[in-house]
Amino acid sequence: MLTYIAHRLLTLIPMVIVISFLIYLGLELTPGDAVSHMIPPDAYGSMDPDRLQELRESLGLGQPFFVRYWIWISGVVQGDFGYSLAGGVPIADIFLDRLPATLELSFAALLISTILGSILGTISALTRGSATDQGLTVVGMLGVSIPEFFFGLVAILVFAINLDWLPVGGRTLPGYDSFWDRLPNLVMPALVLSIMMTAGVMRYARSSMLDALSRDFIRTARSKGMPEWRVNILHGFRVALTPVIVLIGFRLPVLIGGSVIIEQVFQWPGIGKEFVSAVRSQDYPLVMMVALFSVLAVLIASLIVDLLTAIIDPRVRLGE
Amino acid sequence: MVDAPITRPRTRRDGQFDRLRDRETSMQGKAKRGGRFLGKFLSNRLALVGFVIFAIICLMSLFAPLLAQHDPMSPNLRAIAQPPSVEHWFGTDKTGRDIFARVLYGGRVSILVGLGSALLSALIGVIIGVYSGYVGGWLDWIAMRVSEIFMSFPQIILVLLLVAILGQSLLNLIVIFTLTGWGGIYRMARARMLSIREEEYVQALRSFGLGPARIAYKHMLPNALGPIMVNITLSTAAFILQEAGLSFLGLGVPLSIPTWGNILNAAQDLRVLEQNWWIWLPVGATISLFVLSVNFIGDGLRDATDPSQQG
Amino acid sequence: MEHDVALTVKGLKTYFYNNNRCNRAIDGVSFEIRQGKTLCIVGESGCGKSVTAASIMQLLPTLSRIEEGEITYHGPDGPVRIDALDRGGAQMRSIRGKEIAMIFQDPMTALNPVYSIGFQIKEMLMYHTGLGRRARHDKAIDLLASMGIPLPERRVNDYPHLYSGGMRQRAMIAIAMSCNPRILIADEPTTALDVTIQAQIFELMETLKRDNGTAIMLITHDMGVVAELADDVAVMYMGNIVEAGPVGTVMRNPVHPYTRALLDSIPVLGRGKDQEIKAIPGQTPDPYDRPKGCQFADRCMHRIDKCDEMPPETQVSDDHRVMCWRYQEFASNGR
Repeated sequence: MLTYIAHRLLTLIPMVIVISFLIYLGLELTPGDAVSHMIPPDAYGSMDPDRLQELRESLGLGQPFFVRYWIWISGVVQGDFGYSLAGGVPIADIFLDRLPATLELSFAALLISTILGSILGTISALTRGSATDQGLTVVGMLGVSIPEFFFGLVAILVFAINLDWLPVGGRTLPGYDSFWDRLPNLVMPALVLSIMMTAGVMRYARSSMLDALSRDFIRTARSKGMPEWRVNILHGFRVALTPVIVLIGFRLPVLIGGSVIIEQVFQWPGIGKEFVSAVRSQDYPLVMMVALFSVLAVLIASLIVDLLTAIIDPRVRLGE
Repeated sequence: MVDAPITRPRTRRDGQFDRLRDRETSMQGKAKRGGRFLGKFLSNRLALVGFVIFAIICLMSLFAPLLAQHDPMSPNLRAIAQPPSVEHWFGTDKTGRDIFARVLYGGRVSILVGLGSALLSALIGVIIGVYSGYVGGWLDWIAMRVSEIFMSFPQIILVLLLVAILGQSLLNLIVIFTLTGWGGIYRMARARMLSIREEEYVQALRSFGLGPARIAYKHMLPNALGPIMVNITLSTAAFILQEAGLSFLGLGVPLSIPTWGNILNAAQDLRVLEQNWWIWLPVGATISLFVLSVNFIGDGLRDATDPSQQG
Repeated sequence: MEHDVALTVKGLKTYFYNNNRCNRAIDGVSFEIRQGKTLCIVGESGCGKSVTAASIMQLLPTLSRIEEGEITYHGPDGPVRIDALDRGGAQMRSIRGKEIAMIFQDPMTALNPVYSIGFQIKEMLMYHTGLGRRARHDKAIDLLASMGIPLPERRVNDYPHLYSGGMRQRAMIAIAMSCNPRILIADEPTTALDVTIQAQIFELMETLKRDNGTAIMLITHDMGVVAELADDVAVMYMGNIVEAGPVGTVMRNPVHPYTRALLDSIPVLGRGKDQEIKAIPGQTPDPYDRPKGCQFADRCMHRIDKCDEMPPETQVSDDHRVMCWRYQEFASNGR
């Protein structure tokens, strides 16, 4: 098991290096002086040219490309992500400020879609061919077809404006910042963000469950005279779970992507919203850093999924 | 105890079974009927409905100049934000442009972006995937690594990153979608080829001395077409949703060109959302309906081409 | 010596309703399984052997049902009409596994890959015995040991993929035998295994039959297996038992053309290379487009006009019966 984890980590490292390299290449090629995103813009503006040139030298900008890359990546590893062009804030500060909101939203949506999706998919498979199943299938189809932000707009109109049950957007009100205070703000974005993933998980859980139920060991389990729920849950669902978890891992990027738009719709102050305004204002250092960290998030998520499958599937765990 | 007449309680299915049995008895010895199709009827019906909706929306967009009485671009200051009427079927937007015309013309661009990007990325993905899947070697290694890099980005982040670098234009958007979309179809085509490669007829063709390109594209590709078609439909749906999302953010097709996403962009304004439902609801419904129809087609294709998914 | 009957099947009809069609998978089948004896049901694939087993276990797929006929289990508490029980009901479940257990064709797929062998044995014990946790574990180890699995204390916690094919089938038999069932149904238990393993599995089944007095219903397509293991044999063709009787009688004096054809189609050791092996001409008919009368008529060399009518079950002798219009001619000229 430990060697397995070590092996998976080792295969990730070249990937991370290549991508960080590409990101740095992007940083160098995009407009703007390389120094400009390494020091606060205020200081940059008021600096005399000689001093600037000196600084370039000291930052290694006269050095060959790979050395410059090395200086940059060492900084990133030590938490020096450079400066945002807009406002001259260190990118690390922006991350610290905005990341909790994004994580809160993504985890809430992930939790909802995983649980709801697996349960609905299982129900659909167990009642295969019935009106329930057909209804859920059509609902699932609608879920993957309607744009998330459109859902969001309709939800705002109905639940925030017309019914006035939930706030229109935002995350916190001044002075109220416990999780329970935030909860009403979280409900709508999390539900809307989870819709597409729930539908995807449901469709997949259904077919995975149907596949599991058609296996021979289900007949064996029945032949033991166990009640139907035990056959379905312990033998069917348990086996159907592995592919569903793999799918959720694969879909995580979609969730991250979705949060970019949903944060915009609900004015949720997360990384995604920051990213969109950075793209709008062509704030390249920030854009590149968000991209780099989204890749890291995806890679780590895939690692976690691998470990989870290893835990629930003995064939992987025991190394086949 | 045995002699007592014991019968199992009848269930809902029993009546249905009785009818089937009686019908079978009455037609015993007669020619077989294609009863198998009956079972697949429902899923096929959805695909059929999907195709009809798809065709209607495509044709309406195509013949937009004939169907729309108004110019989608020209503002009319005397008819600002008017609700639907005989004159303006879907009403007008905040600069008095006819929304019905905008939805039709917008469909042209949105469908072009979606379908065009899907076809282009399929073309690239299939050409590389089929060849590298069959031949392998350094090309395969490189293509695989490159696709891995592309696929480790969340797609929308990569798209936005490229938008930031390349700038906003219709052509750029298609290029960006193609760049970010080819990986999936490449991997699928490659995997199909790897499994087809082991089949005997391919070994036979090789022993006839046929060149690898001919075997790969002429003989093996047709056997992988089913899943490729499914993939094209599904990525068309995904690209249309993405275009809408990007344009909604104001980062897709430049706002001056009407697309479904650009029309919806107006709904970011809460007042429009609350007071002018006709500006965003019809176009949102159109996007949803169109994507739904494409998904139905995709599902139908999957059922038709993949025997293991039957039922 | 008198043998109790463990299970009687009378006039059983099971139909399938897939694809909006009705398939008469079993169309009137009668037989009995005697305590401590082996009944072999033999026939080509698709003849209804496995459906018969599934009907007895009430493990039929959703789109199928027992139309008519009786399945009576003669248990320790008197006879029980299995066909009248609810498929998933408590009474049926208490019979399934405890009184009648089943092993399946492919041990590679019949065991759940995500649970240990021990778990899958203990599961059975949990539902049908009052044993405690510790006792169940010990019993599972005992069972594996008695199935000839080496190091059972260790292997009990292993997962199926760490077992070889033969060992998995032994484990499967251990599960089936864990509650000392009165009847063991074995659905082609060795088809997926190597020939040498086959012999070991059959030997194991023989031992179980001898030691526990278990009645065995063995489903097979292999006449060689029948000759070796069966006490009684029933030959099935397209949902009917065309010939049945004690194995000696049927093998020595087969009267149905299909039985004779089956026997002719297996090579016999010692007859040399030149022996004539006759394949059966034609194919089994489409189950949705069956012949009107005798199901075998289209492939039969001895067909007469009367074969368009379904022949009745006729007793050849006390314990030997056949479904054929012309059996008397074949009975007289022997083999």
